[in-house]
Amino acid sequence: MKYLKNLLIIFIATMTLSQATFATGGVFPYKVERVTLKNGFKAILIPISGSGLISYYSVVRTGSRDEWEPGKSGFAHFFEHMMFRGTERFPGNVYDSIVTSMGADANAYTSSDLTVYHLTAANDYLETIIDIESDRFRNLRYTKEQFQTESGAVYGEYRKGRTSPWSVAFEAFQDMAFDKHTYKHTTIGFEKDIIDMPNQYDYSLSFYKRYYRPENVILVISGDFDVDKAKAFIEKYYSPWEPGYVKPEIDPEPVQTAPRSTKVTYDGKTLPLLMIGYKCDAFDVNNPDYLALDPFAEVAFGRTSDIYKKLVLEEQKVTFIQAGTQSSRDPFPFMIYTQVKKIEDMEYVQAEIEKTIERFKTELIDKSMLEILKKRDKYQFLMQLDSPESVASILPQYITLTGDIKVIDEYFANYDKITPEQIVKSVNKYFVESGKNLLILTGN
Amino acid sequence: MKTINILVALFILLVHIPTNGNSMSNDKVILKINKENPIISIKVWFKVGSQDDPKGKEGLSYLTASMLTQGGTAKNTFASMTEKLFPLASYYSARPSVEMTIFEGKTHKDNFDEFVSLFNEQITEPGFREEDFTRLKNDALNYIETTLRYSSDEELGKAVLYNTIFNGTPYGHILQGTISGLKSITLEDVKNFYSTYFNRENYVVAITGDLSQAQVSKITDALEKLNPGKENTPPAIKAEKIEGINVVIIEKQANATAISMGYPIDLVRGNREWYALSIANSWLGEHRNSSSHLYQIIREERGLNYGDYSYIENFPNGGRFQMPNPNAPKRHQIFEIWIRPVPNETKHFAFRAAIREFEKLLKNGMTDDTYSATRSFLRNYVLNYAPTEDARLGYMIDDKFYNIPAPGHIETFRNLMSKISLAEVNDAIKKNFQSENMVIVFITPDAEALKNALVNNESSPIVYSSPKSDFILEEDKEIINYPIKIKAENIKIVKVDELFN
Repeated sequence: MKYLKNLLIIFIATMTLSQATFATGGVFPYKVERVTLKNGFKAILIPISGSGLISYYSVVRTGSRDEWEPGKSGFAHFFEHMMFRGTERFPGNVYDSIVTSMGADANAYTSSDLTVYHLTAANDYLETIIDIESDRFRNLRYTKEQFQTESGAVYGEYRKGRTSPWSVAFEAFQDMAFDKHTYKHTTIGFEKDIIDMPNQYDYSLSFYKRYYRPENVILVISGDFDVDKAKAFIEKYYSPWEPGYVKPEIDPEPVQTAPRSTKVTYDGKTLPLLMIGYKCDAFDVNNPDYLALDPFAEVAFGRTSDIYKKLVLEEQKVTFIQAGTQSSRDPFPFMIYTQVKKIEDMEYVQAEIEKTIERFKTELIDKSMLEILKKRDKYQFLMQLDSPESVASILPQYITLTGDIKVIDEYFANYDKITPEQIVKSVNKYFVESGKNLLILTGN
Repeated sequence: MKTINILVALFILLVHIPTNGNSMSNDKVILKINKENPIISIKVWFKVGSQDDPKGKEGLSYLTASMLTQGGTAKNTFASMTEKLFPLASYYSARPSVEMTIFEGKTHKDNFDEFVSLFNEQITEPGFREEDFTRLKNDALNYIETTLRYSSDEELGKAVLYNTIFNGTPYGHILQGTISGLKSITLEDVKNFYSTYFNRENYVVAITGDLSQAQVSKITDALEKLNPGKENTPPAIKAEKIEGINVVIIEKQANATAISMGYPIDLVRGNREWYALSIANSWLGEHRNSSSHLYQIIREERGLNYGDYSYIENFPNGGRFQMPNPNAPKRHQIFEIWIRPVPNETKHFAFRAAIREFEKLLKNGMTDDTYSATRSFLRNYVLNYAPTEDARLGYMIDDKFYNIPAPGHIETFRNLMSKISLAEVNDAIKKNFQSENMVIVFITPDAEALKNALVNNESSPIVYSSPKSDFILEEDKEIINYPIKIKAENIKIVKVDELFN
């Protein structure tokens, strides 16, 4: 759970001057109330008094993972854009003007497993927010022309991100590591599919009908609000929403039987990048093999690890090194990333990474270190909760994995049981040659 | 500093405590004790930034700040400091900017005592080791040579815009400096810079959270042991007058064109007129908000890119942040329009569309409707600028920088939204906005062709992939031939590898 982050976080990690970065994990300290409607819609309410603000997060448990039809990659993200085009009652410009008049901070994002719509505003607007948000989930309307215009903005977003070598590397890595599963493409999608988006109006309607359903959306409200009023408004505005969720037909990824590698050229100058991924399991709070990878990542590759000291600080052959699981709904590789200063050191750096993995196949990590890690993670979790908005904002990824936030406490309870022996067992289980994927990116 | 008196607070208290040193009326401590907040934030502001880099040593303030948080101390190597910090789930970092350098730390109150001794050691007892210096200098060089030049055209466009407008002044280089500047910096330079500027008369410390007087003293006592010295006098900044439209085309292979444009304005926050102008600016281009008029015209109606915004204040890292971060203040600001990458074949069109909308605002001013909607939007929206205690602490530092009295910038902003009249907004537009003298930066391939198109005011027809309304098509007829006077001698073509040298 410590690496419950978007893959792209790595861009940020390399840019800041932080001494240490935050991660998630810990015991959830707030009182939580839940609402479940007959149509399957669920809301998680977290009252935190004092600020006068509420944060409203609609979590759709659909991301680029659900784009299973060929030629439709990037659609979940594209659809996130369409959700701002309005309804019959609140056409796009009316929706915008309501949000503007509230002075709300409103936006959305998409990743491989989810799409999140969020808004933070003064609590006077609770009913208005529930009204306009439920309405667009139930009654979205847009014309073909609007749809086609928006595809231009999505292509613009692709082009904007494409200047980064990391985007190029991730796209190639996922394409190599997966044959059948939809994790083969990144969230933004393949360029050819983005170019074809203007022709997919009918498909977009079907996407909305199948995935934007009450059984697939979970609402989180945190902040300064009256819980009873919120429950009544949720009942009033979300109850008429017709169920009808259709599960995506995602092919499971066959077991990888031989190591894979690829070399990619970036059209620009960059230090060489190295990505190594070992196939592992999906996030599962009840799978100790999987959970043990979190302390392993920290001890083996974190900022206090021997390899970090050697390669980053002493020999200065790489600018950083980072590793972890991706906490995904379906299996995604355990990833190790680094940026090598000189291409001639690439083999040496790979060998050092291999040596580190081999070491932890037999060496038990110190028990006291493991205890420090467990305590540290709880504090890190608490440190993040510094506003109603930050409370709401850390929950969507937990929700998309399991449908609720109980997983936070379960995670910590189970993490507490991890032993040094369990870590050795996990490293032996997942770090096998046949499950290895390696990518090297160089500039021109 | 021993006589600090903190009132026991059930609620948030704001206490400004004057120093007992020789700095006269200069307050050095901002306390925001909040017994309900277990997270302690500390921000130490040193009055030094990239504007203080000596000529030929550009990047020195950035490198010094890096050495203080990513290098070891006199007693401990960086690896050893990292190990000590690790169990505390706390962090500290440096935030260098043009006029200030902030060291910030965050910890849970349970871990405060152990944390603060590391934090103090890091700032007040630096190690200045050669190996840290080499590593951090290479990181800064790598940022310029690869990241900025090649992997972020948007940041590149902004960097070139700022460097061009303030060329020849202490504002005229990016924080990381220049390649030659960085290369010429020695470890000795860093040590001297530290001892000149990181002294006990040149800091302000701001602290928030649930902590005791004794805990506050742990921070202030350590800072008072810094070298004696004097408060830094910031250098004068006099940007050269811009005559006409000056274009810089950065030629590089790119599948899209990033555009940034602007000119200096003589207005900073705190001044009532600034808040009036902010209403006009918010309407024209609120950052990453669909209420932005430029966004509506270029993205929403025409789908040319991801977003289009305008600014009357420095907004670093706009691509990453939704809201402005505090602690990047400047005494001299620019008006700026940011057009996110557009397809190469639409760059001239998008540029014209932006200028045309801006000139319409200059000519017509705001209407009663747009003025009313925008000021009521801003009244609530600015609350999102500082959603956490940590951010509010950052704004308190900025208030001190800009000499904004209590209740501070954000509350002043909110209060003035119901007081500033439409006439004031339109006056502020007339006084501060103009389109005749500015710098335009394009990051694009085919520089020569763009130069010719701009000089000759060539028509810039546009083909859409989807049908558009008659209204938009009519408007386009005006945009595609919209005249913008640019002289050939005012257009400079630069290769990307020639930048930041």
